[in-house]
Amino acid sequence: MTKKIFAIVIAALVCVSFVFSASAYTQQYVIDYADKLSSSEIEELDLFAEKIEAVYGITVLFCITEGTGDVTVDEFAAQTYGDYTDNENGIIIVHDDWNKEYSTFAWGNAEEILTDAAVGSMINAYDSNDRYYGGIYACYELAEEYLENGYSGGYVYDGEPLNNGTDIIGASEEKDGVSIIWLPVSLGIGLLIGFLIINGIASKNKSVKMQENATVYTRPGSMVITGSADNFLYNNVERREKPKQTESKNN
Amino acid sequence: MSTILEQKCPCCGGAVEFNTGAQRLKCPYCDTEFDITAMPEDTSNQVEQINWNSQGAQWGTGETDGMSVYACNSCGGEIVADTTTGATTCPYCGNQVVMKGQFSGALKPDLVIPFKLDKKAAKEALKKHISTKKFVPKSFLTDNRLEEIKGVYVPHWLFTCDAIGNANYKAKKVKKWSDENYEYTETSYFDVYRSGNIGFDNVPVDGSTKMPDDLMESVEPFDLSQAVDFNTAYLAGYLADKYDVTAEESMPRANERIRQSIIDSFRETVKGYDEVENQGANMNVANGIYKYALYPVWILNTKWNGENFTFAMNGQTGKFVGNIPTDKKAVTKASLLLGAGIGAVIYGLMWLIELL
Repeated sequence: MTKKIFAIVIAALVCVSFVFSASAYTQQYVIDYADKLSSSEIEELDLFAEKIEAVYGITVLFCITEGTGDVTVDEFAAQTYGDYTDNENGIIIVHDDWNKEYSTFAWGNAEEILTDAAVGSMINAYDSNDRYYGGIYACYELAEEYLENGYSGGYVYDGEPLNNGTDIIGASEEKDGVSIIWLPVSLGIGLLIGFLIINGIASKNKSVKMQENATVYTRPGSMVITGSADNFLYNNVERREKPKQTESKNN
Repeated sequence: MSTILEQKCPCCGGAVEFNTGAQRLKCPYCDTEFDITAMPEDTSNQVEQINWNSQGAQWGTGETDGMSVYACNSCGGEIVADTTTGATTCPYCGNQVVMKGQFSGALKPDLVIPFKLDKKAAKEALKKHISTKKFVPKSFLTDNRLEEIKGVYVPHWLFTCDAIGNANYKAKKVKKWSDENYEYTETSYFDVYRSGNIGFDNVPVDGSTKMPDDLMESVEPFDLSQAVDFNTAYLAGYLADKYDVTAEESMPRANERIRQSIIDSFRETVKGYDEVENQGANMNVANGIYKYALYPVWILNTKWNGENFTFAMNGQTGKFVGNIPTDKKAVTKASLLLGAGIGAVIYGLMWLIELL
């Protein structure tokens, strides 16, 4: 019986490990419906796109297809983006190889940095390089360049400066974490609380003390209040200026 | 020599003791039990007056000041006790003796609360008291030696009165509001006055200088409804002292406690304020009477590292008190460990909040 349980537990662990290993597989960024790329090429391009996403928080999808069925290429692009990611900051470039059409859609921060002109230059790079692997690679290189430029507060491709480059970095939802300076502060607070708690417990070792009053010897129901007065003396009003709204850290 | 009283067994003549379980007198030799009322209160006509002529050195002038000498009725041994000792044990034959002169006439207590708990219960209470405390030095748990355990009837003065008083308080109300630019705080001050009267019954004050006042007040309260009229038979087997602090000398302490009770009780009627501060109180006492009573207390003395520790147990209710040494190193270590843990949790929570 014990052996059976052990076997079930091992099997469950193996299943769980498979689930985790499957989930550890990198997300697909290059979608090759036209079967133009080898699996190793796709994997390499996926790693490139994954790096861009990790650094800038922008998902860059590239889809090669031969026809879009009953939907337009634009509808197809929007639908494919939703199928492969839920990142609100990203872009998809769809190349309909059969109809020789391109469609691009951008969301969130990607829309601000990867402007129409920038995307145009990316498609040009794709066209002018060796299709398909080389073209997509060149396209990703440009995307990385533009994003780096945009995030550092510089100029985007078409020459118009961003309102504020650092603003976009904040919006990319990257977390800096808690500064290490808070560690000694936390420890200090913890030590103070710990000291109070432990000394409170230790103080119970002292149980000898004078009684403060004789309330326990009060005759039940004997208290009679014969005189009572609550006289207002004076009041004062203090006015303090409200602290100014602190500007957001992003500004 | 002063005369002493021994409670003798009518059957075998052995010295009888008060039994806490049966609440009767019991002869430890023939196991016969007697009602307290069956024993004669004053047996002076039966007490043999023994006068010894000393062949050795005589007490010098002033040497016996603060000391009384008694002769044991059983063995004739000389019992030397201080002037307040009312009941003790003969150091030669172990018989329980009562110095009846200490409780006669004006010195006779009005009431006595008999012991309800015995020596065994006191020892167990000491063990429990020590074992339930934290940060006690390990060596105290192992090396602490019980040097002495004694049941003592401690003289107390009980004060009953109607206290008439008044108290003044300074009270404060705080109101806060704000508009677009400012935060406002309005503080209103009030003079609050209360007067009235409160009755107090049997407020005890320790009447013995031998017993630390804080120790005696710590084992309070006693249930005076179980008190009985004084009878020397209750003292058999225990130590007892007559008072050496008079009722007049004890009154200031009773007044102090009653006065604080008035301030606290009237304070509870001052409601609706954010802060209340006592400004003073006056008190008069009417219908004040006092009684003299003996309260049962077990005193336990232990020794550790050359230092004496005194514990006390209410011989009626079992309330146990006594200060226990604290292991400062253990306290520091625990404070640091707990503090570090709490600090880590705080820092972790900050991370969690930041990441969420």
